[in-house]
Amino acid sequence: MNSKSQTVLSDTDAYSTNDAGVRAELSEIDASIRTASIFFTVSSVLWLLIGSVFAIIAAIKMHHPDFLGGDAWTTFGRMRSAHLNAMALGWGNNVIFAVGLWIMARLCRSPIRHGGLLLIAGLFWNFGLTLGLAGIIFGDMTSVEWLEIPHYATPLLAFSYLLVGVWGIMAFHFRKGAHVYVSQWYILAALFWFPWLYAIAQIMIIWFPARGVVQSVTNWWFAHNVLGLWLTPMALATAYYLIPKVLGRPIYSYYLSVLGFWSLALFYNWAGVHHLIGGPIPVWLISAGIVASVMMVVPVVVVGINHHMSVVGLHRAVWRSPALRFVVFGSISYTLASFVGSAMALRSVNEITHFTHLTVGHAHHGVYAFFTMIMFGGIYYMLPRLLKREWPSATLIRVHFWGSAIGITIMLVALHVAGWLQGVQMKDASIPFLEIVQMTLPWLKARSVSGLFLTVAHIAFAVNIFWMLFAAGSFRARTAPTLLSKNDGEAFAK
Amino acid sequence: MDVENYQDLMPIILLGIVFFISALGMFYWSSKRGQLRDFDSQAKTIFTDEEPEGVVSDQFPDEKR
Repeated sequence: MNSKSQTVLSDTDAYSTNDAGVRAELSEIDASIRTASIFFTVSSVLWLLIGSVFAIIAAIKMHHPDFLGGDAWTTFGRMRSAHLNAMALGWGNNVIFAVGLWIMARLCRSPIRHGGLLLIAGLFWNFGLTLGLAGIIFGDMTSVEWLEIPHYATPLLAFSYLLVGVWGIMAFHFRKGAHVYVSQWYILAALFWFPWLYAIAQIMIIWFPARGVVQSVTNWWFAHNVLGLWLTPMALATAYYLIPKVLGRPIYSYYLSVLGFWSLALFYNWAGVHHLIGGPIPVWLISAGIVASVMMVVPVVVVGINHHMSVVGLHRAVWRSPALRFVVFGSISYTLASFVGSAMALRSVNEITHFTHLTVGHAHHGVYAFFTMIMFGGIYYMLPRLLKREWPSATLIRVHFWGSAIGITIMLVALHVAGWLQGVQMKDASIPFLEIVQMTLPWLKARSVSGLFLTVAHIAFAVNIFWMLFAAGSFRARTAPTLLSKNDGEAFAK
Repeated sequence: MDVENYQDLMPIILLGIVFFISALGMFYWSSKRGQLRDFDSQAKTIFTDEEPEGVVSDQFPDEKR
């Protein structure tokens, strides 16, 4: 490390573009990562659409089981698993690579090296995932939740991941400037945690299976930590970068953001066993998981206060920014979903909610209302800067926002209500099971309707992106560009 | 390879210890490198001359500034 990084810098002069030896211009950094980020963005959107189709099929089958009946490959079990993997690994990982690595590059203040490595990683990732999903659909699924992809595809994913991880470490190592912003902490930590989780889960469940319930514990340690140590940190990194960046005002309390990061790192990884409350595993293990799940209130409240206080007084600017509409929706959802989750971990609540639709609703609260909405915001901010073009259609952005917001709200209400009623009624032995199933049907139909809203939103998003990518030249900024020139009406030069 | 003997879990346990120590190491590193001081200027590292502090940097494409 050079001697500059030994000093604690007391002002932001080192980040001025005047000092070219210290940091590069944002536009230069953006240009260096452009190809990789666009590749990952396009991949993520395609998987989002594919995952939405699987979702709708699975959702309809829950109230009309004969829908698309007659073929093994459209059965609920396969469609649901295909949906989960297409969304988590297809949409989720690709959008993380697109937005998270871009934020990392910008904060490392240096044009990236070895962008080719990222492209190779992306090709392997998508190929491995396609192979894996085909395997699931045509009957080779492993039957382990969140690890359904058959063994012939997982090494491709692992290799791809290795390339991304190595790239991330190198980008961090060659960064300029002394400060490590909280988003870089989250991204680096997530890049470190994910391969660890994936490798151990694959080893202990699939390749050299551990005995009996140890597999279950490993399974839920893995699956929950994909949410908590991969999706969550990446989304929080994006929110911590975008909220202050768009508003032009530093985060309310940087101290709280550091506290939030370290407390998340301490508590989140124990919580996974709350998926097995009541199961045949040691009670002390379950209790440890419940304690950690409740202690998560600490980082969640910290993040909530930080984000809320950062936008106080600037709500209009939030509403008028496409990126922040999505990001702030996501941040608020993070707080709500986490409180619901901490409550669900309590044994008395879990007695009702376990094995019901409420768990599914909660999962979508986290992965969609929190993670996905924030990453949508990330793409709305990033893509114009990479392409040096404006979004072609404000209407499509609004359709996307309202479709997603209304859709996920309907889904969450339907599943939480259905799940709670289901749980309460199942504890009453006098109510026949079939009656309880019939009670859930209207709520499940509402969920399918919500899926239509979401799919329309996703289509609007995809159309806007492809329009922007391919209709080059027709959508230079017309009135005031959102970002690319400093004066009203000035066309940007490049 | 079934886990018949808990000794077989030793590699995983050692790996866990290694990762825990590396986490402590990262925390110590960040403390030593001044990452846990001077929070006000740390919060401003996201701003640059191109996208400075005090300027709202995103809006809908059809809205005038």
